[in-house]
Amino acid sequence: MARLIRTEKEVEGHYTEQWIVVDEDALDQWPAGPLQTVGKPAPRVDGRERARGEATYTADIQLPGMLHAAVLRSPHARARVRSLSLSSVLAAPGVRAVLEPGDSHVLTDEPGYHGAAVAAVAADTFAQARAALAQAAVEWEVLEPLLDPDQAVEKGSLVSEPNVSERGATERGVSEAEAVVEAEYRTQTVLHNSLETHQAVCVWESGRLDVYISTQFLWGVRATVAEQLELPPDKVRVVCNFMGGGFGSKNGPGEYTFIAAELARRTGRPVRCALTRREENLATGNRNSTIQRLTAGARSDGTLTVLKGDYVNSVGFEGWSPSTGGPMELLYACENVRVAEHGAKLNTPPNAAFRAPGFVEGTFGLECLMDELAARLDLDPLELRMRNYADSDLVDGRPFSSKNLLECYRRAQPHWARREEVRARSQGPWKHGMGLASQVWYGGGGPPSYAWVRVGSDGRVQVVTAMQDIGTGSRTAMAQIAAEELGLSLDRIEVSLGDTSRGPFASISAGSSTIPSMGPAVRSAAADAARQIVEIAAQRYHLEERVLSLRNGHIVSADGGSWPIEEITELLGEGQILGKGARGPNPTGMRTLTFGVQLAEVAVDIETGEVLVDRIVAIHDVGRVINPLGASSQVEGGIIQGIGHTLSEDRLLDPGTGTVLTQTLDAYKLPTIADVPEIVAEFVDRPDEHLTNLGSKGLGEPPIIPTSAAIANAIRDATGANVRSLPITREEMLRALRAAREREGLERTAETVGEVRSA
Amino acid sequence: MEVVSPRTLEEALRLRAAEPGLMPIEGGTDVMVDLNFDRRRPVGLLNLNEVPELRGWSRDDGLLRIGASLTYAQVRQRPLADTLPALAEAARTVGSPQIQNRGTLGGNLGTASPAGDSLPPLLIERADVELASVRGVRTLALERFLLGPKRNALAADELIAGIRVRPSGARQTFMKVGPRNAMVIAVVSLALAVDREREELRAAYGSAGPVPGLVTASTGERETFPELVAAAAEPIDDLRGTAAYRRHALRVLVGRALERCWA
Repeated sequence: MARLIRTEKEVEGHYTEQWIVVDEDALDQWPAGPLQTVGKPAPRVDGRERARGEATYTADIQLPGMLHAAVLRSPHARARVRSLSLSSVLAAPGVRAVLEPGDSHVLTDEPGYHGAAVAAVAADTFAQARAALAQAAVEWEVLEPLLDPDQAVEKGSLVSEPNVSERGATERGVSEAEAVVEAEYRTQTVLHNSLETHQAVCVWESGRLDVYISTQFLWGVRATVAEQLELPPDKVRVVCNFMGGGFGSKNGPGEYTFIAAELARRTGRPVRCALTRREENLATGNRNSTIQRLTAGARSDGTLTVLKGDYVNSVGFEGWSPSTGGPMELLYACENVRVAEHGAKLNTPPNAAFRAPGFVEGTFGLECLMDELAARLDLDPLELRMRNYADSDLVDGRPFSSKNLLECYRRAQPHWARREEVRARSQGPWKHGMGLASQVWYGGGGPPSYAWVRVGSDGRVQVVTAMQDIGTGSRTAMAQIAAEELGLSLDRIEVSLGDTSRGPFASISAGSSTIPSMGPAVRSAAADAARQIVEIAAQRYHLEERVLSLRNGHIVSADGGSWPIEEITELLGEGQILGKGARGPNPTGMRTLTFGVQLAEVAVDIETGEVLVDRIVAIHDVGRVINPLGASSQVEGGIIQGIGHTLSEDRLLDPGTGTVLTQTLDAYKLPTIADVPEIVAEFVDRPDEHLTNLGSKGLGEPPIIPTSAAIANAIRDATGANVRSLPITREEMLRALRAAREREGLERTAETVGEVRSA
Repeated sequence: MEVVSPRTLEEALRLRAAEPGLMPIEGGTDVMVDLNFDRRRPVGLLNLNEVPELRGWSRDDGLLRIGASLTYAQVRQRPLADTLPALAEAARTVGSPQIQNRGTLGGNLGTASPAGDSLPPLLIERADVELASVRGVRTLALERFLLGPKRNALAADELIAGIRVRPSGARQTFMKVGPRNAMVIAVVSLALAVDREREELRAAYGSAGPVPGLVTASTGERETFPELVAAAAEPIDDLRGTAAYRRHALRVLVGRALERCWA
C-alpha cells in the first residue's frame, strides 16, 4: 500500500526533509544463518561479456549518420571573449554545425576556469571536428584569476554561506583538556579519471530525445534534460547499459549532453560528444583541495574534551562545499565539537562529488590528529579510539540503526598486535611501521525505488528496473537477491537495466546507495512473484499456500512434497507472472551509518623519502553483505584509489595563471598494479535489523575513506614524522622527516635547559 | 601520412638522404606519442623495423656491436644482460612490459631525452654510437652524441645504426627514482660502475641535467664521490620534482650504488 510520509533524504551527506510517497515494506528480513545465494561469492554475471568486449558502453554506440562534436574550451582561468568568429570553422571540411555562447546555456563568453566550454562544433568525424576548432578566431581579454583559497574566504568569495555547527562548549572543552594538539592539514586536488571519459550520444526522433550517456543516474539525467529543454520527462529516454566508472563525477547530464542535444537538434542527425582524456583532466570535476586547521583536547586518560575544525574547501568556480567536518561531528563521543566549513569560490575547475566527498579529506585530518594526540598522551591509538566510542549519534541524539564499529576494532586487534613485529623489520634507511584509521559515512540509501520481476513459463526470471550498474557489480547483486527469494539458481536470473523506457524508476548510484536502495525493491518484487507462484501451486496441488515454499528450483510443501517449479510455470503458456516491488521507508528517528577501520603497514626510506605500502587490512561494517566477492572488489578498488590519493595523484595548477598543468595520465600519476599492496578485506556482515527487508548498507565509498590517514599514521609509527599534507611525495616525506628532527632537537634542548635549571 | 619501409640498410640510407623530412621510427614508443599529441608533423615515417642490419648483436674480439633495433626486452636477456648488467637493470624499469617489447636502444638514442633510461648505463661503459649514411659510417662517443634536451649529433642524412661498446666487466648497477613503482619517467636515475682494473669510479646521471652526464673519479675518492656526482649534476625544478630533491637523491643513490658495487 502506498503511504505518504515526511522523511529525511540523504545523498552524499546532504540531508533534506521532504514528503515522499512510499510503499510499505511488509517483508521480514531473511532468517539468521547461511542462505543459498546471498552471502556466497558470485563472479560477475556480466564478466564474460565485458572481458570479451561484447558489452556495449556509451563509447561503443554507433548510430547511422552520427556526427562527432568537439568543444572549444577556455585556455585561461579567467577571461572574457572580446570577439569570436566561427566562420572558418563552419567552412572547414566535414563540419555540419557550430554552437557559440548564447546557443546553449552550457557555453559561456566569460569563462571562470581553464577548460570552461565556450563553443562547439559537429562534423562527420571527430578528427574533422577537432581540426575545425583550430580555425576558431577568438580574441581573449585575460583577467586576473582568484586562486588562493584563504584569500577567497577573506574576501567573502564563497559558493555558499559558511556551514558552522557547534555542540557543547568548545572553550570549556579546551580548558578541561590536559593535552591539546593543534595542527594544520592539507589535501590536494585529485581527479576521478574514469576509464570511460564523460560522454553522450543524442538523437531526436519525432520530438523525443534519446540520450545514450555514461551516467550514475539515468533518472536524474532524464529530469534535468527534460527541465532544461522544456520537454515532458517521458519525451526523454536515457540509456546506459554498461559504464566505465564515474566515482561521483557522472551524477548529472554534464555540458557534453546539452552540446550533443543542441547539435543533434540543429543537424537532424545523431551527435556524439565524447571528452578526450585531456578534457577529462580539465573539466569534469575533482575532489577539491582542503586546508584543515584542527584542534583536539583530551584528559590524560584519553577522554576527548574538545574537537574543533576550521575547514577551507577550494570548491572552484562552481560546485558545492562538501562536509569535510562530517567525520569530526560523527565519529567520536566528544561533547564539545565545533566545525566551520568554508567553500572558496575560485577561478579553478569546479569540484564534483568524488567517492565520499568531504569525508575522505576530513578523515585524513581527524584521524591523523587523533594519532598525534595519542602520541602526546602516550596512549595506544586503537585504545584512544575505543575510549571515545560513540554509542549514539551526538549530533542530534538519535540511536544508530546499527553500529558494529567496536566489533571492527575487536577484529583489528590481532592485526594490530603485529605492530612490534612490523617495526622490527626496519633495516638501514628503511623504517617499518603500522597505523590505523576509522571510517564513518552514510550509505543507508532510501526510497523511492522500484523493481519488477517477470517469471516466464520456462521458469526463468527477469528482474526489470531502470537502474544502472556503474561497474560495481549491481547486476550480480540484484540477481543474487532475486535468486535467493525465488529459491532459484543464479543462472536462471537475468537482470534488465539501463534504460528509462524499459523499467520503473530507480535510485541514483551515488552515496553508496545502490544496494540499500535497490536491493530491497528487487527482493520485494521477487517475493511478490514467489507469492503468485505459490498461489497457483496451491490450487494445482490442492494444498494450503502457507505450507508451500520455493527452494532449490522446487515448490516444496511442509509434508515433504516437492515439484519442479516448471510444473507450475509451464501452466502460464505465453503468459507471465509479474511481481512488483518497492523500496520501503527508512527507520524513523534513527541514524543509519557505515563504519570500519583500516590498518596499514608501510616502509619508509628515510634517505630518499620513498614510501611503500606493504599491506592494508580493511574491516568494514555495512550490514548484510550480498556478494562477498563483489564486496572485496569494492574494498580493493577503494584502497587502490586511496593509495593514489595518498602518495602520487596531484592535479597541479600553474600558480600564476591558474591553468591546469597535469592534463595527461603521464603527468597525473594514478597508481599502477606495481603500487598495489596486499589487501585483506573483512566484513562484520551482520544485517542492520532496522534497515529494510535486507539489512544491507552500501560499500561503494567506505573503503576509500580511512586509507590515507592509516598510511600517514603508519608513517608516523615508522619514522616519528607527522605527515600533514597530501600527497606524500618523496619531497613531502623528507620535509616531514626534517621537521621531526628539528622538533626532536628542540625538545632535547628544552630538556637540557630544564635539567640545568632544576640543577 | 606516408610510411616507407626499406628492406635493407642501404635502401634505408638512400631514402634518408633523399628525404630528410621522413621521421625514422622503430618501436614508436616516443614517436607515436609526439604524433598523437600533434607535437610533430613529419612528411612521413621511415619505418626501420624491416631492416635486418639493425637487428641483433654480435661480439668480435671483445667488442660488442648492438643493433639499433634491439628492444629493451632483448637487452634484459642473457647472455647480453650478464655483459651489460646496468643496462639490463635499466631496461627492466622502462615503462611496462608492452613498452619494453616495442622500445629500442636506437630509439632511446634518437630521442636523446635527459631521462632516457638506457643512456646512463651506456655512458658508464663509454659506449660509442654508430652513425651511418650514404657517405659512410662514423662512430661518436655517446657523451659527444648527446647535445642537449632531445638534441643529438645525428646529421640530417644519418641513421643510428647501432652501439659499439667494449664491456668493462666492472661491477655496476642502475637505480631510478620515480613518483610510483612503474610506468614512470625518472625523477632522477643513476648508473654506476666500480672499475677495479682501471681503478676508476664512473657514474652517469639521468633527469638531472640537460643531458645525461658522466662523472669519473679514482677509486681512492670513494668517500667524496657522492658529493662530486651531486655537484656535477645540473637539475631543474619541474612537474616531477625539484632540483634540490634531485641533487639530494643523486647523492643518496651514489652512496648506495657504491656500497652495492664495492665488494
